[in-house]
Amino acid sequence: MRKRLAKLGGFIALVQVVVPSMLLAAGPKAADLVVVADTRVLAPGLNRYFADLYNTDILVFAVWAVVLTALMGSVLGVLMDKIMVSTGLNLSKRKIIEH
Amino acid sequence: MRKFTAIVAATLLLGLLAAGSAFAAEVIQGKCLELNKEAKTLSIEEYDINFDKDFKFGHPTGINTTVDITTAKVGIEPVPGDILRISYVVNGDKKAAIKVMNITKQNLMKK
Amino acid sequence: MEWMYMHMPISGVNILWPGLVLIGFSVGVIGGFFGMGGAWMVTPGLNILGFPMAFAIGTDIAHIAGKSMISTVRHSKFGNVDYKLGIVMLIGTMIGIEIGAQIVMHLERIGLVGSVVRWVYVVVLALIAFMVFADYFKAVNNKKRGDVGAHGAEGLTWYKTMHRIKIPPMMTFKEAGITCSMWLPIMVSLFCGILAGFLGIGGGLLRMPALVYLIGCPTHIAVGTDLFEVMISGLYGAFTYTLKGRIEIVAVFVMLTGAAIGAQIGTVATKYAKGMGIKVAFGIAVIACMVSIILKQYKMADLAAVVILGAISLICIWICKIMFVGAAHELRMKKAGTPID
Repeated sequence: MRKRLAKLGGFIALVQVVVPSMLLAAGPKAADLVVVADTRVLAPGLNRYFADLYNTDILVFAVWAVVLTALMGSVLGVLMDKIMVSTGLNLSKRKIIEH
Repeated sequence: MRKFTAIVAATLLLGLLAAGSAFAAEVIQGKCLELNKEAKTLSIEEYDINFDKDFKFGHPTGINTTVDITTAKVGIEPVPGDILRISYVVNGDKKAAIKVMNITKQNLMKK
Repeated sequence: MEWMYMHMPISGVNILWPGLVLIGFSVGVIGGFFGMGGAWMVTPGLNILGFPMAFAIGTDIAHIAGKSMISTVRHSKFGNVDYKLGIVMLIGTMIGIEIGAQIVMHLERIGLVGSVVRWVYVVVLALIAFMVFADYFKAVNNKKRGDVGAHGAEGLTWYKTMHRIKIPPMMTFKEAGITCSMWLPIMVSLFCGILAGFLGIGGGLLRMPALVYLIGCPTHIAVGTDLFEVMISGLYGAFTYTLKGRIEIVAVFVMLTGAAIGAQIGTVATKYAKGMGIKVAFGIAVIACMVSIILKQYKMADLAAVVILGAISLICIWICKIMFVGAAHELRMKKAGTPID
């Protein structure tokens, strides 16, 4: 376990070094955008919650956005995986044929 | 171990959720009356949320509000007459703006 | 038809949500199949839906990160992801992108940026397309002559030359089945990184063919490994773009639901596709991208959108066909008692 943690720690450190510069690759540089979401017209709920957060604390919003995206990615991934497996296809092996 | 991880993750998520819902900024929209650069304040006439064809940004309510923009993030600089949308929190007797958006001049449809 | 529209809380516009799901779906299919992010395909689609362009890039990157995660998980189960290779390549990618960005800033100072970048992009894409098709015709000829290796006929074999460079430390990448100097993947990813940083793109478009032709990865492993890199850069990109206020989070979730299904189809389709088929379709996608950039350079944005969206739809349908035909065949064989794998 400890070994795994150490590995994970090393990986996280690597990611922190590596990733900031990769961001540039993710698209053209973008200036800060000052937008206020109009929460007056939103009924309380999910939309209102995100809009409030966007207006109030963009940092928490950013953390939330990444966590939720990753979470949703994995949940949907596992879910779709279950569905795919239930079709009875063999999803663990494949031959490499180039031509 | 798995349970532990799950509990830690759940706590973190709940913490985030709480942090998010604790302070929700107020939002007002209206016509810019004055930008006072020395006092760092911004005054607007508030509009309501009854949008229609002639009043795209709402009807004037006659309420004038002044917010403090010392710590605010101001987008395109407002001039009197611009329609602005401001998010603020009430800080004692002061309304401290967080963000000021210039609806008249900000074009979201452009890159 | 009110229910077909969804209110975007931050920008306050109403968007046709099935359109968002469809964009997510098609980019999911194509991304899972080719191992790229596909940001360049999303923007014209969002534009047509009336999505605020100020939020387009951020929304796009976040959805790509989530989608790549789904595809990477699936590719990982197929054994298509060489994590060791991926991590070694991250080093080169990081330094490369930094250098590329510096070059762009230098060009900006001397006022040469816009069209230089665009034309370099066109030339690079043309080269990639040329490489893919040259490879294809060479492999076809080899097959005709009966020159078939363990994995079928091969086309271009530049990587064999590359593998002769034996500067220590040597490394073995088990999944990819190659042994080479550690410096080879680092230099290749550095080169791709410089180009990606210079062009301001994610780089999947460049890394995928580079992995195949320069490092000698089997096509399937190249796709999986590349997705792993797209995922990591995507998550970070999503964070910083959100900090700049450039994300419409609800749209990300909607697009992801479509992408989840698409990514499964695209990824599973790689099981039934031959490596060469993947490469040729990739070449076609690259040409479509190239044509659209040329059209944009001459201010024909509408036509460019038509080209991109048309190509995406066709490729997407083709991939779905591979997946369903292949799956149906496999299930039939299984029923008949002669499973294939």
